[in-house]
Amino acid sequence: MNHDLSKLPGIFDRYPKHQQSLIAVLQDIQKEYQFLPCEALEETARVLDVPLSKVFSVSTFYNAFSLHPRGEKVLRVCVGTTCHIRGAAQIQEQLESQLNIKAGETTPDLKFTIETVGCVGACAKAPVVIVNERYYGPVKVSDYKKLLRGK
Amino acid sequence: MVNLTINGKVVQAEEGEVLLSVIRREKIDVPALCHHEAVEAFGACRLCVVEITRQEWDGWCDYVTSCLYPASDGLIVNTHAAKVNDLRKTIVDLFLARHPKCPEIIELAAEYGVYSTTYQTVVDGDNCILCGLCTRICDRMGFHAISTVGRGHGKEVSPPLHKAPPDCTGCLACAQNCPTSFIEYSAAKGFLTIWDKKFELLKCSGCGKETITKVFAEHLCQERKIPFEYFQICDECHRKQLAATMGEITSWDREAAS
Repeated sequence: MNHDLSKLPGIFDRYPKHQQSLIAVLQDIQKEYQFLPCEALEETARVLDVPLSKVFSVSTFYNAFSLHPRGEKVLRVCVGTTCHIRGAAQIQEQLESQLNIKAGETTPDLKFTIETVGCVGACAKAPVVIVNERYYGPVKVSDYKKLLRGK
Repeated sequence: MVNLTINGKVVQAEEGEVLLSVIRREKIDVPALCHHEAVEAFGACRLCVVEITRQEWDGWCDYVTSCLYPASDGLIVNTHAAKVNDLRKTIVDLFLARHPKCPEIIELAAEYGVYSTTYQTVVDGDNCILCGLCTRICDRMGFHAISTVGRGHGKEVSPPLHKAPPDCTGCLACAQNCPTSFIEYSAAKGFLTIWDKKFELLKCSGCGKETITKVFAEHLCQERKIPFEYFQICDECHRKQLAATMGEITSWDREAAS
């Protein structure tokens, strides 16, 4: 897969070309492309002079980084204790069956990604679903349309 | 220098030297899977746990990984206290649960009287104990070809992007230092394959035996300024050559003396 890597030099320019900038650079690439393209990892390793194995190790360690393209809308279903008790599993199931994908997967048209997260610290609003940056809660199973439509 | 007591015997150690190296110097057998003199101690396998105390601790003691704990004056170490053996037994028990088919683990567990795990066995587990010795040694060799990837249950040792590692030279330092012989490689018909990467092997010009990979030899030539010819002959043939040379020198000397 080839990706437009023209935005990378701009990202590298923001930080000192040093090992310590690795996470900051990866975060910016993730934000720009919604995931970390392989070519971008190789370029990061080259520019920051960090072994590629270390770049790969870091980018697979943190959940905030994804090596696979993600959908325009990332639906994060909180499955923390409170949300679990208040029916997170049913909400997850409903979203999974509506989009015909499992948690951690992306629809083939790259529109939606479903993920599960531990606790997002919004237990008072449980069960919570986060669509991109926006929090929704308390969510009902029948709210799926709103979640899929929501900005 | 500092004085400390190990199993009742007063021994000397360098200030700050880790306990495991003092223990090994005293020829006391303490198991350790993740330790290697060439790399910084890591404390991953926890097997080198020992009991430490001091006179002034008033009977209180602590259990520390000896590969990381520095020696200091007045430290009293017990490498095989009953509690230490219990702790090691639990550790090998856990190892056995995760790697039930690993010969090295089975053997180690048997030494501690553990013949079957008391925990739930991981059915589809592999033999990698995730001690990271291979990745640390690879870093030490200066290649940085492999690293640990992912975390938690999914953690594994892998080349970057799960593809043949571009920086690997086939030096085999990872595979041959793996405490559980997990890293596979094969050598056949002049080629070595490791991490899905194929390397050409050099052949000894004397006996035809396959030696190290060409890429690794070239790396050593460049980094260590060793002439390439050095690698075109195996160690055994080197020695034979050396003996022949020594014979020649002796005969020259004899000629010169007469």
